[in-house]
Formats: sequence, structure tokens, C-alpha cells
Amino acid sequence: MTKMTFKRLLTATALTSIAATAAIAEEVDYGKFDGYTLRVKLIGGAQYEPLYARIAEWEAMTGATVDVLSRKNHFELDREIKQDIAAGTLDWCVGSNHTSFAPQYGSIYIDLNGVIADATLAEFQSLALENSTVDGRLVQLPRHSDISNLYYIKSLFEDADNQAKFEAEYGYALTPPETWDQVKDQAMFFADAPTFYGTQFVGKDEAITGRFYELLIANGGALFDDDWNPTFNSAAGVEAVNFFKDLYEAQAVPAGSLNYLWDDTGLGFASGTVALNLDWAGWASFFNDPENSKIAGDIGLVRAPKGSAGIRTGWSGSHSFSITETCDNQDAAASFVTFLTSHESQMVEATAGLLPTRAAVWDDAKAQFTADGNDFLVEVFETYAVSMSEDAFTPPLITPWIEVSNEIWPQLQAAILGEKTPQEALDEAADAARIVMEDAGYL
Amino acid sequence: MATKRPPFWQREKYTPFLLLLPAILTLLFVVLLPLLFSLYTSFTGYRLIRPESLWQWVGFRNYQRIFADGDFWTAFGRTIIFLTIALNLEFLFGLGIALLINKITWGQRTLRTIMMFPMMFSPILVGYQFKFVFNDNIGILNNALQSLGLSDGAIPWLVDKYLANFSIIFAEVWMSTSVFAILLLAGLFAMPRDPLEAAKVDGCNPWQVFRHITLPFLMPFVFIAMTIRSLDVARAYDIVDVMTGGGPAGRTELLWTLIARTGYDNARMGQANAMAYVSILLSIAFTYYFFTKLLAARKYMGGAE
Amino acid sequence: MMNGKLRKQIGAIATWVLTFILMVIICVPGLWVVLTAFRPNGEVLAKPPVWIPENPSLNNFAKIFGFGADQVAIPVPAYFANSLIIALTSTAIALLIGMSGGYAFARYRFRFKNGLFLGLMLSRTVPGIALSLPIFMIWSRIGLIDAKLGLIIVYVALNVPFTIWLIDGFFRQIPKEMSEAAQVDGCTRWQAFWKIEFPLAKSGIASAGIFAFLTSWNEYALASNLTRSTDSKTLPVGLMDFTAQFTIDWAGMSAMAVIIIIPALILTFLVQKHLIAGLTFGGVKG
Repeated sequence: MTKMTFKRLLTATALTSIAATAAIAEEVDYGKFDGYTLRVKLIGGAQYEPLYARIAEWEAMTGATVDVLSRKNHFELDREIKQDIAAGTLDWCVGSNHTSFAPQYGSIYIDLNGVIADATLAEFQSLALENSTVDGRLVQLPRHSDISNLYYIKSLFEDADNQAKFEAEYGYALTPPETWDQVKDQAMFFADAPTFYGTQFVGKDEAITGRFYELLIANGGALFDDDWNPTFNSAAGVEAVNFFKDLYEAQAVPAGSLNYLWDDTGLGFASGTVALNLDWAGWASFFNDPENSKIAGDIGLVRAPKGSAGIRTGWSGSHSFSITETCDNQDAAASFVTFLTSHESQMVEATAGLLPTRAAVWDDAKAQFTADGNDFLVEVFETYAVSMSEDAFTPPLITPWIEVSNEIWPQLQAAILGEKTPQEALDEAADAARIVMEDAGYL
Repeated sequence: MATKRPPFWQREKYTPFLLLLPAILTLLFVVLLPLLFSLYTSFTGYRLIRPESLWQWVGFRNYQRIFADGDFWTAFGRTIIFLTIALNLEFLFGLGIALLINKITWGQRTLRTIMMFPMMFSPILVGYQFKFVFNDNIGILNNALQSLGLSDGAIPWLVDKYLANFSIIFAEVWMSTSVFAILLLAGLFAMPRDPLEAAKVDGCNPWQVFRHITLPFLMPFVFIAMTIRSLDVARAYDIVDVMTGGGPAGRTELLWTLIARTGYDNARMGQANAMAYVSILLSIAFTYYFFTKLLAARKYMGGAE
Repeated sequence: MMNGKLRKQIGAIATWVLTFILMVIICVPGLWVVLTAFRPNGEVLAKPPVWIPENPSLNNFAKIFGFGADQVAIPVPAYFANSLIIALTSTAIALLIGMSGGYAFARYRFRFKNGLFLGLMLSRTVPGIALSLPIFMIWSRIGLIDAKLGLIIVYVALNVPFTIWLIDGFFRQIPKEMSEAAQVDGCTRWQAFWKIEFPLAKSGIASAGIFAFLTSWNEYALASNLTRSTDSKTLPVGLMDFTAQFTIDWAGMSAMAVIIIIPALILTFLVQKHLIAGLTFGGVKG
């Protein structure tokens, strides 16, 4: 689907469903499953809990009981599900899933086409559904999407002194960056290690692979060619690695970056010691909460900048729910996941700052934020709505994605630390990735 | 004598085996059985997410692959260095603490509890604690150094090649020195007074007393502690996994973190189990070394044997 | 004479100073965790740091138990009960098995003795990470996943080698002649054990018990694989409830850590008395 048609579709569904919104909650019949116990495994964590408070409502409506077997973060859950596959203990019905993880699990989850009502599926953004599809099977129902945009400390950019100095040094005006090259300049300009940093990046695991991947795309490169040959050791790849390396060497990012994950970068930005921060939508409320954040009220937000090919970075993914093949009551499971991704449920999650996957919720949530006078969240939703519809792309939906990622990120670290040249590091990663792809039967 | 010959389980000859039976059974069930299973899988192309691959026999391919893998050998070597440094430091600090506490009479009970404080911490908690302590930006160590004016930069404790390894060793030593201290303290308490008194009467100085009486007496305790710790070192996995995950760029990669990533994240269980076997052999070598030392020390002391 | 006294005093002071420094190193990282438990999250990450909590509060604990608004309660009581049951039961069983095994090694000569001893010890060298999956596969076949019993069995096996070892050492220190004398007086070996050797080794057994308890109480790697829900999840596994996809709730985690540490600390302090007796009785022998 091209971006244009998608955008049109988005507005179209938005228009039709605004009128229908009020009726939706009553219309869906969640069925009756008296005495049935639905066994589920859910992703846990503060952002995700408010939704689970609604489970009692579904239980009351359907007469079923929900037994939450585990509530863990996704990496823990991933390990647990792999163990279940290995031991044949898939004796549960619904599991939290993620677009990046889903292709690994093969056929343990059912195709939701035909199981979830077509009318319900039509309410979802089609890009979100497309990204939830593996080998033509809709193995997961997207719960909320995520993508990163660039947060910055407003006052720094408004400061006349900064503006003058920056223009003198770099020859163009200090405005929120439009390209990653500008981000680099500005980060180096603002950095004053160890008390203040220009920007930061996550430095390990799939996190840095993802950041590298989106910059690779933005620079006009690709991870694989059409036949699944690794191609990320291209000039675009080297350029992407150099972006991280230059920032690291200039001490424009914290010295410990290579050990950072999302919590470190998020908390770092909230501590007011970082000028520019590419981060997920889920952090927006946290950054603007005076209880947690030193920069509340001083946050600007722009769409993720462009790479050298004029493409914006837009690594995206969705959290989702899947139903197992071994489930003993797929109707109950389908009712449950439909309920948890219903318009009302997504409104609950949107209020917590999670990006909805139902087209209508985008507008309704925004309307509610406007009514509440929460201008910041309105801005957040407007910015993210655009990037979600125009910039979003997922990692390749292949079984060995995590494995390929595990070959890439240690090499990225080695290059950033200067143990290898970017080209050497990427060549080695590409060779290793080729073996992984061969083993997995793609080559 | 008219008494009937007792049934075999009452015969003296079999008593020790009978006494050991519960221990042996438990370990067969919980350790040996799973080990046999993983030994088998190390000869297969077993991938966690493809149960049918459990039957895919690949012979020695997993072993060939890991033996030809430079990263594996680097992790192997680093694990040996990690073990050697950590165990020796723990021994030295443990001995020091035990000797000091042994000298102090007032408040000793409290001191002993404090000394055992790190033993209350779960390894996973130790990992998080030190990840926070060593954080370059908001960690307390860098902040303390900066406030005291000892450093004007953010020291990348968990990234620098040497500092990162120092940090994980520090965490490990912090957690485990107590075990040495308490066992060596036990040894000091168990020490007979007579030789000490005699040595003092003979005019030995404290160092001579320590060198020729205390230390030889303590040696079996040292080796017990060493062996016990070498049995247990894989607990360091939790710490390292949380603190650095083996990174960056594999700088703190130990066999255990490599095994976990290969087995679970990459789902290559067969290959991971092949690595696990090598790491088991390594642990066995360490343990066996200390064990023979222990037996020798016991002989020297004329203990029961 | 004066010189000797002075030297002694300097020595004593040096001992104290050194001890103090070592204790500080031991305590500070742990105390930081304890202090963090009483801080708001903003203060935890403050830069420059706030050393002593400015507004200490019990909010983090309240949140854990669900008294706050925005967070679902973490089922600490269930985790706590699981941990306690699992750690106590496995310690008790490990001690029984260890006593019988330790006694065999200390008091009997038999074939394969050294080999067997070494074999038992080596069983403990297997890293948990290498055992976790095979145990999981076997346990899932016999229904021991997410069951307290499953974890108890594993912890018994984990603690037995260590317990045997310690208890063997303690029995060795009791002169054989004492129980032999009792047997000459008409006791059976069984009676002699309970009347003579057990009371003497009791404190030693108590210290082996502490080690076993602490190992089970704090174990994470295997527990994280073998537990699933509040039926069996232990406190260290519960710590991970504070890590979400993107965030770590340091303050909440620290509060939970305090909840984990306190029982262990109390127990250790209580058993100290027995530790003292257990560790000094060897001196009586000399």
C-alpha cells in the first residue's frame, strides 16, 4: 500500500467512525462463556496495567474468568514462550505479542482473519494490520503502535545567545533539526560532558540494531536485498555507523551510552541533562510530568529527522495480542482480545500516552485531550499521527530477526568504540547474518 | 552366637551408602538426568522454537563450530581470568576481614552480621544495585567522585575495556567475599589455643605465628571455601547479565552470558549446550584442583582419612 | 614495657580503622538501596545527587501493596509466602539429607569414598543457565512447572553438596572416641549419634542451614525459569515486576529489595548465636 492511499484511508475511516463511535461499545457481542477460565500471558509494566483493570468488566459481561499466568516484560515473556514451545506446554490461550517477535513463533498462533469479525478489523489502521501479518496470516491483533520522534528542550533553542553562537559556528540558524546531520551539529554544540549532553542513543541489544536500521533506511540503504542477501554493509550503513561513532567520540552523548537501554535514555532526558532525545510516544507524559521530570513544560517535539536520502527515520512496531493454535476455546479468546483492543480500551490506553491502532481513536483521543486542556498531549498525538502514517516501517518480518540483530549490535558497538572500522564491523556482521539467514532457509 | 545375620541394610558395610542414598538420588534426578538430556542436545541442531529439530542429529558440528569461533575462546579465556581474579581477591579480602574481626571482641556479633550483609542480596539485586552505582551519568560513584573533586569527567565504568571488567569483578567480589570471611572466621574460631600459646612462649613474632601455625591450620578451610565458591561462581551470571549483558562489543562476555544469548535469544539450544559442556568442564577443572589441594591439606593435618 | 603497650594500642586502633573502612565498603552499596526505598523516584535520578533522602516516605511500599492510585498491586504477600515456604522446606530437607550424607563421609570408610564425595561436589559446578532448560523440559512433563514442589526439589539438590560438605567438616571435628565411648556404654550407633554427636554438631548444622536458606531465598536464575504465576513466584523473581519494556522503577524495586533483605537479616542475626557456638566448639577440643 502506498503512503498516499493509506493516508486517505485513515481519514476516511476516521470520518465514518466518529459518528459510529458512541454506538460501537453496545454493538459488539462478546458472547457468553460461563464457567470458562481463559488462561493468558500478558506484558506487564506500569504503562500497560491500566488496560488490565478492564478485564473484570469482560469477566462480568461474559461469565468467564481470566487467569493471568504471567505478567512480564517482553524479553522475559519471549523466553517463557520459547520454553513453552520447546516443552509443549502451550496450555494457554492468549499471549501478548509484538510485531518484531511474532515471526519467530512460527505457527503457534492462529490466523485471526475470519476469527475476528471483519467489521472489527476494518476499524484498525490497515498499516498496523499489514505489519501484524506474517506469511499472509494475521497472527496478532495490534494493541498499540509505537514510533519515535525527536523531543528537545525548548528553552535551549529559544535562547538568543545560543542562537547567535550556533549560527556563527555552523553557518545556519538554530532551529529544531530537520535532518540527522543537523542533530549531530546541534548535539555537539550543546554538549558539555559530563554535566550536559547533546543527545543520546541506546547502545545495546535489539535497541541499537533498530536505531541503526532506521538510519540505514533514512540514508537510502537496506538490511537485505530482495533475495535476503545482507546489504547493510553498504555506504549508507557506514554513514549510519559513523553518525553514532562521531557523537560518541565527541562526547556529545553520555560515556555509558553503549550500556544504555530505553530506561536509561528516557530517565536521562527527564533529568534535564540532554538537549535532544529521539524517543517513543509512551514517554511523552512522563517527560511532561513535574513529579518525574525536571524539564516538564519545556519540551518541544518534532517529527523524526531525515537521513541523507531525504527519508525520515521511522522504526515502528506494534504491541499485540495473539491466540494460540492449542487454545481450547478460541471464541472466548477472540472475544477477549477484541475487548482489549476495543474503542473504549484503546481510549484508556491513549490517555496513558500509548498510540492507538484504531483509526477513530486517534481523533477521539485528541478531541479529549483538547477538551481536557492538555495541549502537550494534543501536540504529541498530532506529531505522532503524521509519523505513524507517513514514516513508519518495521524491521523485516523474518523468523531470525532477533538472531540477525544479535549479530549486528556487538559489531556496531565495536565500531563505535573504535575497535574496528565501521566497514570492517559491518562486513563481519553481514557475513554472520548471511550464515544465520542460510541456516534459517532464507538463502 | 545365635543371632541371625542382620539384613543387608543393617550391615556396617552398606550403612554409608544407605546414608548417602537420598543425596545421590536427588542429584541424579535434578542434575545428572538434565545433563544427559543436554549432552544429547549438544549433538543435535536443536532450536528452541522448532521442537522437531530435537531429532536432528548433527554429530560434532556444534562443537566444531564453537571451537572454531574466536568469540567463544575469548569468552572462555575471559571467564578463566574472571574466576582467577575474583576468587583470589575474595580469598584475600575474606582472610583480612576474618583476621580483623577475630581480633575484635566488643560488638563482634554485630560486625559479623554486617560482614554477612551482602549474602542477603540476591545476585539479581546485586546486579541492579551495581548497574546503578556504576552508571556514568546518574550513578552514585561518578557523582561522588565529581562532588569530591576527584574526577571532572563521566567515567564510563560499564563501557571502558578495563573498567567494565573491573566493575563486574567488583560486584562479584562484593557479593561473595562474605562467604570466605565467614568460613575462615569459623576456621579461626576452631583453632586450638595450645599451639598458639606455645608459639608465643617460644618467642615467635605475630607474623611467624600466622605463617607457621594459623595459616596451615586455616588451609583446609581456605580450600573448602575456594571449592565451595568455585562450585558457585556461575551465580555471577545474574550480575553480569544485568550490569552489562556481556557488552559492549563483547568486552565483558563470559561463557554464561554467551550461553544464555545463544540458547534463549537465538534459540540455538544445541549449540548453547555444547558451550555449556565446555563451561562445565572448566568448572570441574577448577573444583578438582582445589579439591586435591584440600585432600592434601587434610592429610597434612592428620584429619580423618 | 611502655613501648609494648603503645604498640598494642596502635595495633588496636589500626584494627578498628581497617575494620571500619571494610565495613563501610560492604555497607554503602547496600545502604544506598535501602535509602532509595524511601525516596520518590525523582530524587533517585537527581543530578546532582541527593545523598540523604529529603522527604523520606513509605510511598514506595504503599505503592507495592496497591495503596497508590496508578499502579496495580504487586502480589508481594503471595511472593513472600512462596519464598518462605520454598526456602524453609528446601533448607530443612537439604539439612536432613546433608546430615545423613555428612555423617557417612565423616565416620565411615568405604569404597569410592573420595570419588563419590568429588562426584557430589561436582554436581554443584553445573551452571544454572546450563541446567535451566533441561530441567524445565523434564519438570513440564511431570507437572512441576509453576509449583512450589518443583522449586523445592531443585533447591534441595542445589544445597545438598554444600551442606554435606559443611556438616562433614563439623562431624570430623568431634572426636570419634566420644561416640565410641557411648557405644561401649550400650548405646546403639543411632542413639550415640543423637545423644552425643548431634548436639555437638547442632550449631554447625545451623550454620549450614543459614547458607542453604540464603541460597534458596535469593536464587533467581532457575526460579525465573521454573515459576510462572503467584502459585510459585518467589521474591527475587518478583523484582522483575518493576522492570517494564522501557522503564525500571528503581524506587519500587529498592522497596521490594528491602522486603527481601529484612527476613534474611533477622534470621542471620538470630542464628548468629548458634553460629558462635558452632564455630567455637572446635576450640574446646584443643
